[in-house]
Amino acid sequence: MGKARRPVQIIILVFIVILGGYAISSAVFGGGTGKPEPGDKPPAVKLLGLDGKVHTLEEYKGQAVVLNFWATWCTYCVNEMPALQAQWEKWRDQGVVVLGINTGEDEMTVRNFTEQLGIDFPILHDFENDAVRNYGVVPMPTTFFVNKKGRIASIREGELDLETLDDQIKQLVNP
Amino acid sequence: MNFLEISRLAFVTAFYLYCLSFIFYVIAVTGKTWKNRDPKQHERKWGRISFATSSLGLLAHLIYCGTRWAYSGHIPVSNMYEFMTFLSMMIMIAFTVVFLIYRKILLGMFALPVAILVMAYAAVFPQEVQPLIPSLRSIWLYIHVTLAATGESFFAVGFAAGLMYLLRTVDFGSHDKSARRQKRWVEFTLFSIIIVVGFIVSVYSFRAAGYEAVFTQNTTNIDSQVEEDSTIGKEVYNLPPIVAPHNSTMESVQPFLGMDHALFEAPSWMKGVNAGRKFNTVLWSILSGIVIYALLRLILRRPLGQLLAPTVRGIDPDDLDEISYRAIAIGFPIFTLGALVFAMIWAQQAWGRFWGWDPKEVWALITWLYYSAYLHLRLSRGFQGKKASWLAVLGFLVVMFTLVGVNLIIAGLHSYAGTD
Amino acid sequence: MIKNTKCECGHQNRVGTVLCEACGKPLEDNGDSTELLEMRYDGAARRSQRANPNWIDKVWNFFSSVKVAVYLIIFTLIGAIFGTIFEQESNFVSFDPSTFYKEKYGTIGDLYYKLGLSHTYESWWFVTLLVMIGASLVICSLDRVLPLYKALSKQKIKKHMQFLTRQKVVYQGPVSENGAAWTQRAIAPLKKKGYRVHTDGDALLAEKQRFSRWGPYVIHIGLIVFLLAVLFRGLPGLHLDKHYWFPEGEITKIPDTNLYLKNEKFTVEYYTEEEMSKEFRETGKVVPKLFETKAVLYKCTANCDDPSKEPVLTEVKRHAIRVNDPLNYQGFKAYQFDFDLTPKLRSVKPVLVDVKTGKQYGKFQLDMTDPQLKYELGPYTLELKNKFMDFSLNEKGQPVSISNNPNAPAFLFLVKGPDLPQEGVQYIYFPKVIDKERFQQDAINEKLGGLQNKLALDVLGMEDVDFIESSSYLNIRVDRAMPFVWLGLGIVMIGLVMGFYWHHRRIWLRIDDGVLTLGAHTSKNWFGLRREVAAFLKTMDVDVDEKDLENGGNRS
Repeated sequence: MGKARRPVQIIILVFIVILGGYAISSAVFGGGTGKPEPGDKPPAVKLLGLDGKVHTLEEYKGQAVVLNFWATWCTYCVNEMPALQAQWEKWRDQGVVVLGINTGEDEMTVRNFTEQLGIDFPILHDFENDAVRNYGVVPMPTTFFVNKKGRIASIREGELDLETLDDQIKQLVNP
Repeated sequence: MNFLEISRLAFVTAFYLYCLSFIFYVIAVTGKTWKNRDPKQHERKWGRISFATSSLGLLAHLIYCGTRWAYSGHIPVSNMYEFMTFLSMMIMIAFTVVFLIYRKILLGMFALPVAILVMAYAAVFPQEVQPLIPSLRSIWLYIHVTLAATGESFFAVGFAAGLMYLLRTVDFGSHDKSARRQKRWVEFTLFSIIIVVGFIVSVYSFRAAGYEAVFTQNTTNIDSQVEEDSTIGKEVYNLPPIVAPHNSTMESVQPFLGMDHALFEAPSWMKGVNAGRKFNTVLWSILSGIVIYALLRLILRRPLGQLLAPTVRGIDPDDLDEISYRAIAIGFPIFTLGALVFAMIWAQQAWGRFWGWDPKEVWALITWLYYSAYLHLRLSRGFQGKKASWLAVLGFLVVMFTLVGVNLIIAGLHSYAGTD
Repeated sequence: MIKNTKCECGHQNRVGTVLCEACGKPLEDNGDSTELLEMRYDGAARRSQRANPNWIDKVWNFFSSVKVAVYLIIFTLIGAIFGTIFEQESNFVSFDPSTFYKEKYGTIGDLYYKLGLSHTYESWWFVTLLVMIGASLVICSLDRVLPLYKALSKQKIKKHMQFLTRQKVVYQGPVSENGAAWTQRAIAPLKKKGYRVHTDGDALLAEKQRFSRWGPYVIHIGLIVFLLAVLFRGLPGLHLDKHYWFPEGEITKIPDTNLYLKNEKFTVEYYTEEEMSKEFRETGKVVPKLFETKAVLYKCTANCDDPSKEPVLTEVKRHAIRVNDPLNYQGFKAYQFDFDLTPKLRSVKPVLVDVKTGKQYGKFQLDMTDPQLKYELGPYTLELKNKFMDFSLNEKGQPVSISNNPNAPAFLFLVKGPDLPQEGVQYIYFPKVIDKERFQQDAINEKLGGLQNKLALDVLGMEDVDFIESSSYLNIRVDRAMPFVWLGLGIVMIGLVMGFYWHHRRIWLRIDDGVLTLGAHTSKNWFGLRREVAAFLKTMDVDVDEKDLENGGNRS
């Protein structure tokens, strides 16, 4: 007796190590907030644009994307709009896209606003605040800089001025 | 007379019957050695009288429970008063069950004080019938609380038998190191019980005197909107303030023995609801406990353990060890079912998660782990007898902390409306 | 060193055997001891006990030890206590833990946070303890249950004399009749007490409720199932736990699902004075009786993933969600969690009034969200040009909205019609009367083109104002592993009842030269066993006091 025991022992110990390792690692690393962080892939979005078409991030593959979460009632967002527009005009030919994600306002409000400020970079509607949730956006505005490899290079919360934006985009284009 | 009045009357009747039957049990046990009596006959006669009295008390207790249930429309376990009363009733039931198995009169002498103390403790809390808040309106309130209390009451009987075992086996005449240490701990256990008595005595005497002291306290609450909001709250003490709430000013203090202001202020980390008052109550309990203990020692002129030891002399320690183990073994599955399994089912239904690491839940788990460690330890022979009895005694402390301490010190989802 | 494990009866025992597997003779001492026998696992060797352990055996042995298991239980117990000192991070939602503990409890709180005790139950060491308990459960059980099973299923009836005399319940005394006859006579009364009786000449073995010996192992299996279920609960897709607001009367999408939930009506009910006891009434407290959300659950059947189209919804479930009574749709559950009774403006139905004649034109619905852009009212046309949900003026004097909540809604129309310029006149409208005055609607309109003297928008009565009365905060949950959690707990309970409310009892007896030697053993409740043995002996005309059956032996 005892000959068949060794494999059984080993199998059970291996199971315990695997399951235990999984339990411990998910306790230690799995407790993350679920928010995307620099280096992560940006969460997928599928949103209706102001142009009436549905857009996803896939369309901008290979391009650097500046993802700006904003609303018309947020003063800081409104303040940084001209800077975003200026950067869009400056960099659009070098493979940089500025994407404005409006959080939960209706089309008329957004359209009036963009027309008033002369904004022509693509605007997407996040009617149900899905993207806000997936990106873990808390303060407004929050801007995600996604590099050409499709990874988040940096995340900035709060109002951005022209120079900071310019710096950030430069780093995206020439890392 | 409505149901509520009947139930009040029954409560008081039960309480006095228990006290009476305790005295009878004492007579039954100690009277054996009196002159001119046949010990066997004495024991049989008084044993019967005392068991009949305690059973009558239990009957009154059941009437209390039934009438209060009928009056309020829900099982009387919805606040601290009702729960502790219920617990003492379950302790009496557990005692009756174990008594019927083992027929040891001595057990009554130790189980009854536990039930009486728990019942007196219950009466400290506000006694009005409260309507049930929505989260308590569930069939699981009935099942979860009653079963948990049943399991715990068997642990209480295990505690009583364990303590008796210790009184029986610790050598009070010996002076070697280990015996001295054991004597000290037995004495400490008895002293802890006296602190509970001290608590009850001080609350009742100051309540009877209508004592009141009022403080205003400035508390800073951080509510869920992360807005700091300062509220000025009033703290009413019913015991003379030894310690004032943190960051408070005195409003009115009735002088007591010339003491007209608090001696010091609670430390800043005591910020819970009514933390200052609770701390004050704890201090009072310990103080009056010390006074009562000192008086007893003065009158009796020997340690309490030594006083009690002769009463248990005639009993076989192995029986006590087995009663203690048996009570815990009966209680353990009931406790598991009531305090953990049904608690999880209810939590899943009410809050959507069967386990949330709420302090009360954690302490129920700690109690369970404790008794499962006890059961495992009993497997080895070294842990039967004395060591097991120490564990049974300590275990009941864990149970009482789960029931009372958690509510007083740590607030969680289970915080019953309670005071002091 | 290899010990000689061969018993005098000729049986070859395994290393670690305490009592000979065949005859029960104690192997480890020389036979002159009178101590009570160690009857755990019937003296069989545990599986892991072997002569030359290698490192795998050592790991195995570590976890198979009850002592280690008890230490693990105690460490877990102490660890769990630490987690109850202050509240855990997981029990509150909206604070920043790095400052919360310091602010609330000072330096001790800060230390508590820095030691990681603010998330004790998710910490690596606590989970490691639980994993080790799991390992110990598996290995301990495996290591004992098989040898015990073997030992119990091939018991020899005639046991060694020492095995009998060193039991805890022992009787020795003369019998007058023939040994085999006495043994035969003993069968009936023992059977009557529920024993299974086996005889071998003048030796007898009576046994009952052996299954209670498996209780502990059943408990352990249940605990393993429970722990595994809890572990797999966290796998993606098996678990969802979110809280969302559901405004009354609105259909709200539930993120990460294809489900929509409509809160048809939210109710809070309080106890009436009649329902309270007299004393409680005097305290003046108000106690809620019921929180209820009448909910309708919809499933999206088409256009679910296309934001440019309206999703097609089909009703799948209707339920009044209450505390203790969640909505349940195929494992998807919604629990009543919280509520907000602040009313929010949903829409108004104003009429256009000719200020001079008092003539009213039409009544139209003006929604706060997604309003219609053009309204034809009598001879007039109103084009909605802009709206501000929370009207305010910025430092440049421009109209802005300061939030997305309809706290102070304002609508900017372009009005066209008879006696008005071709390109129309702008007109601002505040549906709330209080805002009209606060922001001076007339003064603004004066600047915009003076239309306030000619036309006005007016709400005629409260029936034309529609509020979202309240919002219900529901906890949305999916927990696919729950059945296994309950299964595990169910098994634990079965094991507990098996192990604690039944007791395995065995009585051995042998008659040598007219002397009866009886030994009895039970796992629990010696009192009952002694009573039973005494009663049995009495039916066999052997009068003995219960207490005298107790074997003096040693007492530790």
